[in-house]
Amino acid sequence: MKKMITILLSLGLVLGLSSCTKKEISNEKVLNLAVSAKIKGMDPIYANDLYSSNEVARVYEGLLEYHYLKRPYTLVPNLAEALPTVSDDGMTYTFKIKQGVKFHDDKAFPNAKGRELTAEDFVYSIKRLADPKLQSLGWWLLDGKIKGLNEWRDKYADQPKVDYTEEVEGLKTVDRYTLQFTLAKPFPQFLYALAMPFTFAVAKEVVDHYGSEFINHPVGTGPFVLPEFKQTNMIVYTKNPTFRKKTFPAEASDEFKEMLADAGKQLPLVDKVVVNILVESQPRWLNFQKGKIDYIGIPKDNFDSAVIPGKGITDDLKAKGINLTVTPSLDVTYTAFNHDNKLFGNEKLRQAMSAAFDPYTANKLFYNDTALPAQSVVPPGIAGHIDGYKNPFIGPNVELAKKLLADAGFPEGKGLPEITYDCPSSTISRQIGEFFKQQMAKIGVNIKVVQNPWPELQKKIKNRTVMLYGIAWGADYPDAENFLQLLYGPNKSPGANGSGFNNEEFNKLFKTAAVLQDSPERTALYEKMNRIAAEKVPWIFGVHRQSYVLFHSWVKNYINADFNAGQAQYLNVDIKAKQEAIKKL
Amino acid sequence: MENAQVVTANMTQNKEQKSKSLWRHAFETLMKDKMAVAAIAIFIIYSIIALLTSVDIIAGDWAKEVGASYSPPSVENWFGTDIFGRSVVAKTLKGTQVAMSIGLFTATLSAIIGIILGSIAGYYGGKVDEIIVWFYTTFSSIPGIMLLVAITFILGKGLVAVYLALGLTSWVSLCRLIRGEVIRHKDREYVHAATAIGGGDFRKLFMHILPNVLHIVIINFSLQFQVAIKSEVILSYLGLGVQGRPSWGTMIDDAKLELARGVWWQLAAATFAMFVIVLSLNILGDALRDALDPKLKGK
Repeated sequence: MKKMITILLSLGLVLGLSSCTKKEISNEKVLNLAVSAKIKGMDPIYANDLYSSNEVARVYEGLLEYHYLKRPYTLVPNLAEALPTVSDDGMTYTFKIKQGVKFHDDKAFPNAKGRELTAEDFVYSIKRLADPKLQSLGWWLLDGKIKGLNEWRDKYADQPKVDYTEEVEGLKTVDRYTLQFTLAKPFPQFLYALAMPFTFAVAKEVVDHYGSEFINHPVGTGPFVLPEFKQTNMIVYTKNPTFRKKTFPAEASDEFKEMLADAGKQLPLVDKVVVNILVESQPRWLNFQKGKIDYIGIPKDNFDSAVIPGKGITDDLKAKGINLTVTPSLDVTYTAFNHDNKLFGNEKLRQAMSAAFDPYTANKLFYNDTALPAQSVVPPGIAGHIDGYKNPFIGPNVELAKKLLADAGFPEGKGLPEITYDCPSSTISRQIGEFFKQQMAKIGVNIKVVQNPWPELQKKIKNRTVMLYGIAWGADYPDAENFLQLLYGPNKSPGANGSGFNNEEFNKLFKTAAVLQDSPERTALYEKMNRIAAEKVPWIFGVHRQSYVLFHSWVKNYINADFNAGQAQYLNVDIKAKQEAIKKL
Repeated sequence: MENAQVVTANMTQNKEQKSKSLWRHAFETLMKDKMAVAAIAIFIIYSIIALLTSVDIIAGDWAKEVGASYSPPSVENWFGTDIFGRSVVAKTLKGTQVAMSIGLFTATLSAIIGIILGSIAGYYGGKVDEIIVWFYTTFSSIPGIMLLVAITFILGKGLVAVYLALGLTSWVSLCRLIRGEVIRHKDREYVHAATAIGGGDFRKLFMHILPNVLHIVIINFSLQFQVAIKSEVILSYLGLGVQGRPSWGTMIDDAKLELARGVWWQLAAATFAMFVIVLSLNILGDALRDALDPKLKGK
């Protein structure tokens, strides 16, 4: 289920930092971060959650990345020399990769000197992602997309050894520095896939040398080095001494113009990155206030003590030089109907329940009134979202709901069975469930809340044994396709369409749009689909969340972004300002 | 003759005084212990509350909004309101029902399993004993909380699942005790006497031996009762417990997040309610042991 995330997640994504006073005396620039979950490991092909993919991206790199200072999100070359040349039919992508890029020094290489990156490394890395024996968690990204890769994967599924030397038609090297992809079908989102950690470059020697321990021995081409990953509560990265010439961008969107002070400087800007793993929100919050963490998502229940609604942060925090950044997240929370269930084939019933639900109160109770009630599936900030559109079936409108319910054949809820609502087992998820129950009770719909552990819930959704379930979706890449695919009929679970919504018109539009490159024509199709999704009410829409992040005055260039895996290299620390500011904390 | 009659009368009198049954004696001992009486009173009060809430005479409207979200304790709402503006007092009272029913059902279930397996193992010995001992040794080597979680996963969610999960995991200690006691008793003369007049295994075990080891069951019952209440709270805290109605566990689960915003009343109400009943049952268990255990008599 890809990047499905639980509703509760929050405002409080992650980071904070811990520094130790002695180190501040030296002039070493240390970035202190905090993450809120254990890191699974450092192998790109298993980095399917936010936390491990962020860590992987400090050490490894891919062909492309998002421009750090540009919005809307723009892909720029990273290990590639330039953006690829694309054949006229949009099926063949040819990349020139940068010359002279070195892997980190490691004993897996001859003389323990990192060798140069070649196009062959990408072929190897992407085959690893497809390797049937490795059970990578990112295969869905390229499944059926690259010519011959599925056949290669299937062929070796039952054989004892996977042959990496066998050539795959759609995955070729033309020369040492030229890489050619041929797609099996049009896939306009292909380039986004190359900016995700799943497709980052690893070296065959290193994988062979460490075997199953590879997951703990990251050796990439990236800005930071981690000799060995251990399951401890602190990960310390140091600057890569052999990092290629890569400089801070010289262009920026208007809102980030002031960050250009560092333009042209060699990356990374800090000498060391210390990642503290602090699972509980309270220690993260206290460490941040002591200046031991550089930035932090505000925990839900500390919100009142940090932010005054409509005014920004409290004077107390302001006096300490702390800054707030608020950014909409590319996500949507929702309560899905299981469309396999005959009951929910009744469109009026779906609309009635949607009209009875009050997203505004939910916003107050669970998101500190910072989220944006969703009108449809595509969040603001990406093409396909319709500004100013109001979904007629978004509540709270109890009268309309009652009327629709009567039209649906269940006046006052008479004749309706008890409807179960499945949710994850965390406290906030349960409270959201109770809230939903309360809302539905207003029109006489009887809800039973069932809590499930996260894997269990995913299994139930996959096996279609739920009636209603509450969940959220966060973007994998900045394209409405990533959201609209959740309602595409043929994507029915076990695909990403967990609700099983199947609307002919929608499917037709999706099929047309899926093979189009970004264009006004495609945006028009996206908007049309978004409108259908709104009016057919395949889900009861929740909210698009916003993330509130606090950062200290000494942190420079901090931007809160949905796709910020490689961010640490761009951040800077003003040591003098830190010494001053820390006295005030 | 006259003398003899007097003697007999005296003896009868003496006998009547001395032959107060174990139970009567225990009851009197218990009643002399003021703490125990208070504990029993509290237990009865909780039981009455639980009964009244189950027929909605009190706290029937716990789901009603009585104020703003998270309003602090006031004259109208002694323990304030929760996230949805519901009265914390009403929720706590309604939670009593869950706690007491879980205590009762679980302690009963574990007593039944413990008595049956323990007495069979102790009485028959040999292979039967070996199998049962092997079974409960293995069973008890599995960490309790893990087992609880596993069982609730299999049984699904809800009150019945919690009854069963807790009942099925808490019988081992009682089983051990009963087995030991039965082994001790089965070679006693009164059992031999029963054999001699033709008593069958079942009769000897359940009519003769069991009443003599019943005090262990009673003590164990009162202790098991409060362990079950605590376990329910843990299960609900972990999201595996009661669904769709208030319980002390879910209230404490709510509170773990609310505390950061200074909302302490839900935690206070639930822990206070739990504290009182658990303490009472502990005191009662101790008092019962003092009263019932023959070895402690006269100390």
